[in-house]
Amino acid sequence: MASHGLDYDGCNFFRQRLVLSTLSGKRVRIKNIRSKDDNPGLRDFEASFIRLLDKVTNGSRIEINQTGTVLFYQPGLLFGGSVEHDCNTQRSIGYYLEALLMLAPFMKTSLKATLKGVTNDHIDPTVDVLKSTALPLMKQFGIDGEGFDLKVVKRGMAPGGGGEVVFTCPTRRTMRPVQLTDPGKIKRIRGVAYSVRVSPQMANRIVDTARSVLNKFIPDIYIYTDHMKGANSGKSPGFGLTLVAETLNGSFLSAEMSSTPQGQGDPMLPEDLGMNCAKLLLEEVYRGGCVDSSNQSLALLLMTLGQQDVSKVLLGPLSPYTIEFLRHIRDFFQIMFKIEVQKPSEDERKGGDKVLMTCVGVGYSNINKTLK
Amino acid sequence: TMKSGSEEEEEGEEELGALKWKEGLQQKASEAFLRQQAAIPNLRKLVYGSVVAANNSEDEEEEELGGLFTVSRPQKSKRFQADAMDCCRFSPDSSHNWDLDEMLNSIRDCFVTGKWEEGTDAA
Repeated sequence: MASHGLDYDGCNFFRQRLVLSTLSGKRVRIKNIRSKDDNPGLRDFEASFIRLLDKVTNGSRIEINQTGTVLFYQPGLLFGGSVEHDCNTQRSIGYYLEALLMLAPFMKTSLKATLKGVTNDHIDPTVDVLKSTALPLMKQFGIDGEGFDLKVVKRGMAPGGGGEVVFTCPTRRTMRPVQLTDPGKIKRIRGVAYSVRVSPQMANRIVDTARSVLNKFIPDIYIYTDHMKGANSGKSPGFGLTLVAETLNGSFLSAEMSSTPQGQGDPMLPEDLGMNCAKLLLEEVYRGGCVDSSNQSLALLLMTLGQQDVSKVLLGPLSPYTIEFLRHIRDFFQIMFKIEVQKPSEDERKGGDKVLMTCVGVGYSNINKTLK
Repeated sequence: TMKSGSEEEEEGEEELGALKWKEGLQQKASEAFLRQQAAIPNLRKLVYGSVVAANNSEDEEEEELGGLFTVSRPQKSKRFQADAMDCCRFSPDSSHNWDLDEMLNSIRDCFVTGKWEEGTDAA
């Protein structure tokens, strides 16, 4: 493992830097974190994220200066095992889980993480959408088996939280290279309309308007209504919808929307939420590709860490977050992707331009994994 | 050179009238090439090439007012981008209006209910 470190500025892309540092074993120093802000330094949710990283690794060295504007991180070994973490409620569990999804397959012992906090908010991908898009994507790379699951035990809406999820993931020695170049046509749409601490009727009102938009395309739509009660309903009221379009070749495209957190801005009607979320799904279909736009970086990471063979994945347009992730992959793993734009032909009605990403994996092997 | 050019043209018209399509072939080719270049933005350059440019613009532009105050425009500086929110969400294209039939039609064939390519079958 290389010993020299990398330097970055600012708090943006915080998680991808620390995750790639952990996987590559390269030290990282992040300077000028909100240094010009009225309230400089790391926020509570970032500190919470660092603590989570410390829990799943062994021997990590973390140094933060007095004002919190400089962070030094020397990664230890990915250990895994049973971990419990109170995720700071400034960000939802999805924020923390996105990083765990990237790290979990490369642990020494399989991970069982119990995460408590906000399960659904309007900023990060919710646990529901990660469950229905990120997990099937990881299965394509050979991460599967009985112990691979994400379970929503309690739902907790922003800002109060009080939700709980359990994520279990087996370890893998190597990643399987993939050829995901044709998503195939969308055969069905599934979804979950959830509500907590409001009338269960809210979920039904969401479903009606969402269906009215999507029915113009396909009849096979089923949106479950999920109304959690009592101790499983968290601390704040709210409702929301996640929609997932499943293709013939096993790709999943998703969209989601959550109600405005209590006491933050104008409340949203469930009818409007259902309608807008359905339109977001159409936007995601227009972008297309074999991977959902919020999972682009996860797919690219697993391609990078694959065996020394060619991997190809067709994506929709690259998100700004993904573009930065590609630059970070180059910094940490010296891998550059071949990027080809694919324009749809004139008579095809399949949305916008697609991007074909090709790379040869670094042949990463999980040396932490215990042999049985 | 004017003379020789016109002479060549004359020759062309007199003897090789049938080969007139050859005129300006190179120019046409280069125009077509440039058109193509403009149409397909070089994504690889966008992703991997712009880092140097970003580093160059690091020196923060600060205007001085009356030699006393400096004008700080945090929204525009690189600093602002560096400290922006760490979130993977990709906001939708605001130019797409999903109430229009035109937009709805642009994705019809993404669904099994749409048109199938030749050689493939819904079964």
